[in-house]
Amino acid sequence: MPLKLKDKFSSIKALRPAPRRSSLSSDNGELRSAENADSLATLLGATLQRNHYGEHFSIRRWFSEPCEFAPHPDVLRLIAPGASNGTVDPQRWLFLDTETTGLSGGSGTYAFLIGLAWWDAGGLEVEQFFMRDHSEEHSVLLALRERMAERPILVTYNGKSFDWPLLETRFRMTRAIEPLAPLAHLDLLHPARQLWRLRVGNARLAQLERHVLGWEREGDVLSDLIPQIYFDFLRTGSAEPLLPVLRHNQMDLRGLAAISRKIFSLLASPENENSDAFELYGASRIFSRRGERARARELLGHTLDAGLPEKLHRSARRQLARLAKRDRDYDLALSLWEELSREHRTGLAESIEAAIELAMHYEHRVRDPERAAEIIRAALGTLAGHSNRSNTDRTGARGFRNLRTRLEHRLNRLDRKSARSLTLQR
Amino acid sequence: MCCSRKSEESDCGLLWRVLVLANKRRRRNSLPPSLAVRPCATLDVIRDVLGELTARDRYGEVLTAVHHIPARDAQYTPLPGWVNRRLARIYHAKGVEQLYTHQAQAVDKLHEGKNIVVVTPTASGKTLCYNLPVVNAILENADTRALYLFPTKALAQDQLAELHDLATRLDDCFGVFTYDGDTPADARKAIRERGHIVLTNPDMLHTGILPHHTKWMQLFENLRYIVLDELHTYRGVFGSHLTNVLRRLRRIAQFYGSNPIFICCSATIANPGELASRLIEDQVEVIDENGAPSAEKLFVFYNPPVVNRNLGIRRSYLNEATRVTKELLARNLQTILFANSRLHTEVMLTYLRQAFPAPPGRSEPIRGYRGGYLPGERREIERGLRDGKIRGVVSTNALEFGIDIGSLDATVLAGYPGSIASTWQRAGRAGRRSGTSCAVMVASSAPLDQFIIQHPEYFFGRSPEHAFVQPDNLEILVNHLKCAAFELPLSPNEHFGEIDLSAICERLAEAGFLHKSGGHWHWAQEAYPADTISLRSVTSDNFVIIDESGDATGDSSGPEVIGEVDFSSSLTTVHPKAIYIHQGQQYHVERLDFDERKAYVKRVNVDYFTDAIRYTQVRVLEIAAEEPAAGPSSRAHGDVLVRSQVIGFKKIKFFTNENVGAGKLELPENEMHTTAFWVTLNRGLVASLPYSLSDRQGGMFGLLHALESVATLLLMCDRRDLGATIGEHAPKPGVEEEWEQLPETATDPAETKEFFEPNLYLYDAYPGGIGFSEPLYRASGILLGRTRDLISACACEKGCPSCVGALGERQEHAKEAAVDILRRLVGQD
Repeated sequence: MPLKLKDKFSSIKALRPAPRRSSLSSDNGELRSAENADSLATLLGATLQRNHYGEHFSIRRWFSEPCEFAPHPDVLRLIAPGASNGTVDPQRWLFLDTETTGLSGGSGTYAFLIGLAWWDAGGLEVEQFFMRDHSEEHSVLLALRERMAERPILVTYNGKSFDWPLLETRFRMTRAIEPLAPLAHLDLLHPARQLWRLRVGNARLAQLERHVLGWEREGDVLSDLIPQIYFDFLRTGSAEPLLPVLRHNQMDLRGLAAISRKIFSLLASPENENSDAFELYGASRIFSRRGERARARELLGHTLDAGLPEKLHRSARRQLARLAKRDRDYDLALSLWEELSREHRTGLAESIEAAIELAMHYEHRVRDPERAAEIIRAALGTLAGHSNRSNTDRTGARGFRNLRTRLEHRLNRLDRKSARSLTLQR
Repeated sequence: MCCSRKSEESDCGLLWRVLVLANKRRRRNSLPPSLAVRPCATLDVIRDVLGELTARDRYGEVLTAVHHIPARDAQYTPLPGWVNRRLARIYHAKGVEQLYTHQAQAVDKLHEGKNIVVVTPTASGKTLCYNLPVVNAILENADTRALYLFPTKALAQDQLAELHDLATRLDDCFGVFTYDGDTPADARKAIRERGHIVLTNPDMLHTGILPHHTKWMQLFENLRYIVLDELHTYRGVFGSHLTNVLRRLRRIAQFYGSNPIFICCSATIANPGELASRLIEDQVEVIDENGAPSAEKLFVFYNPPVVNRNLGIRRSYLNEATRVTKELLARNLQTILFANSRLHTEVMLTYLRQAFPAPPGRSEPIRGYRGGYLPGERREIERGLRDGKIRGVVSTNALEFGIDIGSLDATVLAGYPGSIASTWQRAGRAGRRSGTSCAVMVASSAPLDQFIIQHPEYFFGRSPEHAFVQPDNLEILVNHLKCAAFELPLSPNEHFGEIDLSAICERLAEAGFLHKSGGHWHWAQEAYPADTISLRSVTSDNFVIIDESGDATGDSSGPEVIGEVDFSSSLTTVHPKAIYIHQGQQYHVERLDFDERKAYVKRVNVDYFTDAIRYTQVRVLEIAAEEPAAGPSSRAHGDVLVRSQVIGFKKIKFFTNENVGAGKLELPENEMHTTAFWVTLNRGLVASLPYSLSDRQGGMFGLLHALESVATLLLMCDRRDLGATIGEHAPKPGVEEEWEQLPETATDPAETKEFFEPNLYLYDAYPGGIGFSEPLYRASGILLGRTRDLISACACEKGCPSCVGALGERQEHAKEAAVDILRRLVGQD
């Protein structure tokens, strides 16, 4: 009978081996695999921690770099509006970054390594909780809860959408350990993205370290491989490939702490920090998002002075025009729109948008529908010239059509309006 | 206890003969000319249509049944005393002062804490059976949560209005939300926290809710009721999947300390209690004494006239159904025409649009509706039907269920929908509340249609249909076990179906999916298992259909996705050179990108459609049970390997159904392990048949054709769920034989090979089997007996599509041979 069962199993597709990412080094036979807890602890530089729920590994290390700083309360309000006054105390900050068994979330994704860091003795103390297998998760989570009680302000990179919800799920799965809600949660991904994505191309932490901090990570493990390294460790005990994972997590925490320092100093005084035009532009967008329009306009002015690539230069002016319009500074807005509307050869979309803004201005504020209609007619002409000349792709063609429809609609309305006012005059 | 409306009336003998109606026809000419303003359907108009139809029925064999279902009074019971005062007042205000008897019985059983299944016809007030107890429970305890499951998204949407109305009347003291693939991401959090009643579908539960149960803590901790509506749809593959999804759901509920009660509702089938308790794996009380009133209805069976008595050829049922529909539409009766395939929907839509073109500048009065249309288009059609702008709709089963399209005047069914339950549901789309309505079923020449149309007592009597599931199909079960492990680590003491849990977990660990730690099995994969498992088909792949016509015509709109087909039907519907029809427009399939799951099509206008030819072989792997039988013959069921391939296609001309060409195809071969039931005709039996070789072969294929039809009737399954083929009996199972070369040309396999000791296979068309083979084996006596009745009662002389299928010219005595074989197997009668 067991034989028969086995035969039946062999035809089940759902039992075929799982797809596996090769984790480079794990096939190497020379690797040390830890025979027992002691040798594993030695290999990883860990100590065994015990608590009510069992045991787990803890790896601690102090780094002199980056060093502690005093966060400016204004900047704090900018990136975490609503945070209480206590948030400004850097001694209560807890940097957090996890390594997980997958990116999809859901109750079957585990955080097998929880990295924490805090300021200590002027530098950064890093502590990593590692679970040797799933049964150590409870004690890891309890240890995390204790650290969070000591330092209730979380500082993360994308932690609001990834690390913290995942940890909340892990806590709930225990049905025993309540998650401790952080007093405040500073997720630095969003300000970092505003400040540097334009220049760096993306906002991955390792990229920012290189391009913003000038750090170089040596022999860093590809984060895509990390889950498989852990699964291999679970199955075979092969522990050495975990070392780069621990290092990677430490680097992420140090990078996070350093980036936080950079963000705070930059936003405290953007003009004085040898900031480049991209950073100034990013800072202005952060201020504008928080409703600090005056500051945002000021920074945009500096941005334009500092000089940007053509495309960004256009979008910065467009942004400035929008802010000016909101502040009813129509002179500035008008001059920018007129400038933009003339640049249709290089920035068609912006030029049409500027034309529409101009038309709206003349229609509603100057009450000159004829003038507005003229502007729209000119824009339609520009558009027609472009759609004839350029061999655009299909989405482009659709965009053209949409724009044209919008313009024609507006023009019809304006013409009707002029006609009406004409009749009234008669 | 079956006490449905249908059986009562047929006992009363209210079957009218056609002549009565033919007489009425004389009055027709005196009808007022203003037909177009007729406000609603009346019995007279319907009779008038019937008269029109009978006029063409020279031999009196077209209308085989005109079944009058009289209006029926309600049976009431007062609202139970335990119902919350506030809720009782609100129901009063809505006009519900008393309950129908079945409603009262249902809510009382629930109040006692029992699981129930309510089995009553369409529009009998089933929703109250769950809304009342659920809302009552919420009023008693504001933490209470309930989960409603509907087989489709659209059905869930449809329930919202009623629940919102209740919520509004109760000062919004509870939240009702649908949660499905269309729910915007930013609304999901609020739903998880504030949704007292969450309406969803099994697929979303499977991929979107269970794997994220920690986010649904409030729901699971307070989960009091689970509603499973349209229970009868959860059979076969879908039902087997659902049972496993419910196993996972119960595990999670238990984890959060709740033990929900199940409220099931089903259309009439023979074994609702059995199905419900199989699905929820617990005891269920059956409530099937209907107390709801119903309006008057005429149910007409229409058999297209015979045009060639020798060949048993009838007029095309698609043409005839279109014709009936035209008669109804011409009298301004808003009509829904049901087709049994997407293809037929489009064919009949084409016909009807020719008859009723859109007035200039106005929208089309006749629309198509089926899966594969985009959601926006569907909503627009539903609206059009409700407000009456759309006068006729041609639909697949997509509109069979409760999607709100208002009450129509008439239903026409082009072909028997495959199950009696579906037929009643479709017929119920007309005249749901009041007034007179009618339903006309036009039979195709398929055996099942002919069987039903000629045996109305079978249809109007007690349902013979059974719904089966096989939740322990290993392929399905193991997939759900993976999901279960992802959701909560598996404990060795757990039960998950009838399997050796540890043995399978060991295998899953070896395969790299699980890891054992602390005595529990944990998920140890990056991938998210539910994502790759579809509850509806073999694979979760869909083929998208891309219209490239724009390129050729210079239209700058560019390639456009016009629809989707599922993997299993892709090879037969969008193979290269196929004609794919969408909203009445024909498309020629230019190429099929199998790896990318894309079919590229171009608009064409041709006078034919295509029909794929499939070739299949079966090998027995292991016999589960076998017994010798008369004939001599034997019957068996067990595990088999099925290999199939689409090898070509035929071009069929519109209207005449002539075969106007064929083509060969080279498409990937498909192999699957499954279960089968088969009959072996012993060498002696075959040799002693007094017919030519081709007649013998034709007889066997004919017998199999009819056998498959009768099997689908008993199993309440789709023809697609069963495969049928003939193969030579091998000396013992599992013997490695050379697979034969597949035939070079697409001809009838009956003519290519002689069988000495054939096996007639009926196999489950799903890897691992879906629970049909064993019931067929157990009921093989009935199966063969009914098959014999079907063939021998057929009016044709030498076999026709209605009994033994279409036959070649050299098989003159095939029908005789089939009956001869069956008589040897099961006797004369």
